Amino acid sequence: MTAYVLRRILYLIPTFFGATFLAFLIIQMAPGDYLTQLELDPKVTPETIARLRAQFGLDRPVYEQYLLWMNNLLHLNLGYSFAYQAPVLEVIWPRVVNSMVIVIPSTLLLYLVAIPIGVYGAVRQYSFGDRLLSFLAYVGLSVPSFFLALIAIYVLLQIKFRTGVQVFPVSGMTSSGFEQMPPLRQLLDIAWHAVVPILVAVANDIAGLSRLMRGQMLEVLSQDFIRTARAKGLSERVVLYKHAFRNAVIPFVATLGGLLPSLISGAGFVEVVMAWPGITPFFLDAIANQDLYVIAGFLTVSLVLLMIGNLISDLLLAWVDPRIRYE
Amino acid sequence: MRRALVWMAGLIALAGVASAQTFVWPQRWTVAKPSEVKRGGTLRAAVTSDFRTFNPFITAEATNVPDTISPYGLVRRDPTTGDWIPYMAESFSISPNKLEITFKIRRGMKWSDGRPITADDWIMTWRIHTDKAVGSNSYDSFFIDGKPITLRKIDDYTLRFTYPRPDATAFFVAEFTPWPAHIFGPVYQKEGAEGIKKMWTLNEKPENIVSAGPWLVESYRPGERLVLKRNPAFGEWNKDEAGNPLPYLDRYEIKIVKDTNAQLAEFLAGNIDLMAPSTVDHISQIRQAIQQGRLDATIKVNASPVASSQFMVFNWNKASDPFKQSLFRSEKFRRAMSHIVNRQAVVEIVYGGLGTPMYSSVYPVLTQWVNPKVPKYEYNPQQAAKLLAELGFTRKDREGYLVDSKGRRLEFNLATNAGNAQREQIAKLIVDEAKKVGVKVNFTAIDFNTLVGQLLSSGPDRPFDAIIIGLSGGDLDWPFGSNVVPCKGNLHMWNKSGQCLDPRETQLEALYSRGRTELDFKKRQEIGYRMQEIEAQLLPVIYIAGPNYHPAWNNRLGGEHPDAIISAIWGQRELELTFIKK
Repeated sequence: MTAYVLRRILYLIPTFFGATFLAFLIIQMAPGDYLTQLELDPKVTPETIARLRAQFGLDRPVYEQYLLWMNNLLHLNLGYSFAYQAPVLEVIWPRVVNSMVIVIPSTLLLYLVAIPIGVYGAVRQYSFGDRLLSFLAYVGLSVPSFFLALIAIYVLLQIKFRTGVQVFPVSGMTSSGFEQMPPLRQLLDIAWHAVVPILVAVANDIAGLSRLMRGQMLEVLSQDFIRTARAKGLSERVVLYKHAFRNAVIPFVATLGGLLPSLISGAGFVEVVMAWPGITPFFLDAIANQDLYVIAGFLTVSLVLLMIGNLISDLLLAWVDPRIRYE
Repeated sequence: MRRALVWMAGLIALAGVASAQTFVWPQRWTVAKPSEVKRGGTLRAAVTSDFRTFNPFITAEATNVPDTISPYGLVRRDPTTGDWIPYMAESFSISPNKLEITFKIRRGMKWSDGRPITADDWIMTWRIHTDKAVGSNSYDSFFIDGKPITLRKIDDYTLRFTYPRPDATAFFVAEFTPWPAHIFGPVYQKEGAEGIKKMWTLNEKPENIVSAGPWLVESYRPGERLVLKRNPAFGEWNKDEAGNPLPYLDRYEIKIVKDTNAQLAEFLAGNIDLMAPSTVDHISQIRQAIQQGRLDATIKVNASPVASSQFMVFNWNKASDPFKQSLFRSEKFRRAMSHIVNRQAVVEIVYGGLGTPMYSSVYPVLTQWVNPKVPKYEYNPQQAAKLLAELGFTRKDREGYLVDSKGRRLEFNLATNAGNAQREQIAKLIVDEAKKVGVKVNFTAIDFNTLVGQLLSSGPDRPFDAIIIGLSGGDLDWPFGSNVVPCKGNLHMWNKSGQCLDPRETQLEALYSRGRTELDFKKRQEIGYRMQEIEAQLLPVIYIAGPNYHPAWNNRLGGEHPDAIISAIWGQRELELTFIKK
């Protein structure tokens, strides 16, 4: 086992260099650079742009830029943001924390809701409840989250227009005057703002995951050992939860590794539409501006977390499934 | 006796301070009388992109913190006349040779930390802006044709600006905002540019951000909200006509809302007070909400054009394709192309009726500069066909496109940046209209950076035929672009061979320099009129149209500009004179 873990860690090294170089290359292959947008500004001279380009090191060959950046990375320095003129980690971190306010509760909610729905659908296949949930799941799968967020804003506005009551805020993470509130009020204020974004963010995922869970459960339920268990006279509850469910969730353990990078990668377009100050709008800006080291630095952190997450989920698999063994 | 002397000295000092200390904000800048004004309250606004630094020397965003908390300098413009008036200066004098301007700095002004504002602050700010290693965005504004403008301190309250040549935009340079020498100076002396760049990042404690302007940073939450509070030191020398200190507001909150739909939702819900909607849909939603009584707000639709334009430019440098090169260099061809641009349709379809057609490089909002007598080559397909026939394109081929005697088809490629829906729509309108007169236009939308690369490439053979793009900006002192008009200019987009190809380009270049050095407004205006006439003959760029400005505000605000000065240039209000009614 130890040998396996060590071997896996060794494999990670070439993967890391390969992936970061590829990411760096792809960003650089896009036409133009951070300073291109300045070129159409009638007030800025070409000399100034050339000077800034040299200051940012953007005039050097790509491999040289990569090596310099890698050297910094090995000293745990993710690089410098052109737009913010500040270290990447310093500008990224507060947004990642903001995103987590949505991501963590919505991930918990996802598993708490989707798995029971999936199990229910499999156990009561083709019942009215199953059909209703399936229908809702297809709706959830086919409506993109940004659109759902717009619908949510529309509904909230209509409620406000009709009744004058703001049930939930239309956008943002805190109310105006937040700084003057006592700490407990501040916490409640953020929670109040987070409800709608969390629900919107989780709607798609619940739909997807519950369908998967239902499929897995149905497959397991049709297998021979379930019939054997029933034939032995075990109670339906034990059959379902001790035998069927345990086997059906194994594939989901493998996906747990993906949770680690998704923890920092934000809640997606909900953040843009509902003006949540998370990492998604920030990262989109960075891509639009070609703020090279913000993009590369963020991708690197995600990459490292993904690699660690995969390793952990492989180990977890071996732990929950006795059929899997690493030699 | 001694006592009397002290008393008298005190009186004189008091008189000296009192006479120079205050700047009175004229009543004509607002619709509100000082008697109806209420003090206190919070103004809530929203911006689409986040702030990136508190540092005035490295900030590069259009809406940034330093310019928001302290927007002013020695002089400012009076929005009712457009004239430069002394502001942080109490007076100025121009030397007889017009190369020097001496400013008397207003006495008694203080930084928010209580230190006096003196000539040293301007000198230090200028030094840091013009240090190449700092990389300030204002660097270029301190040079005319590469020659530096210099500042000299005569005494603590006297500053002299020396210009390398007389300059119509001289006050524009002098308008720069001073920053505290006692904060930036010691760091600059010790650590140089690198030290300056590390200062006042977004992690800086708000109380350390020292301002000369109306606002101080109270708090900043990344990606979310900037809260500013009133700077009491500003109110000591900025008063309304009744002598009340300004600004009236206690706080100014700026939310960061990236998506304009979300901004609209916040405005409709009454959570933000200011909005400048730009699409038909947004405007009609605001109007509807107002009409149905769901929102107590005011919107001024089509208040003025915006100083921005969309235009089509042909490439004069196509050595590899002499047929197209001679075509694009022909003014008859360009005039024909102007005749196929249906500007009215563009305004109706692309801007939903909320735009303004354009015919020259001077933005229509700069009313003083627009020459009303300049010929306009309006939409007129028959005229276009006639001009093309004069160029030898008389026959049509089987597909219905014009060909010349050698059988060469009248065809060119047109590009704009992908994702800009307005430009793509304009291009499609042009393609349709061109087809009607028999010109084949192949339209492609390409990546913005690639497009800019093609447009700004130089030499005898450049890689495009025609491009639709826009510029914005526009200056009230001299509305022609220093990068655009001169033949060597970086944005001389039609011809980047490095030299003038048409005698009228040379003429325009000469007139541009003359106008820029002409200090008499009337004479400068005449030069500007003449330039527009030449431009109209030459048509180096075919102007199409630009959007309009539609400011909206929640009626809890008072103190907006009188209607006559609500425009894209002066905005809807002075925040200092804005107050909360309820």
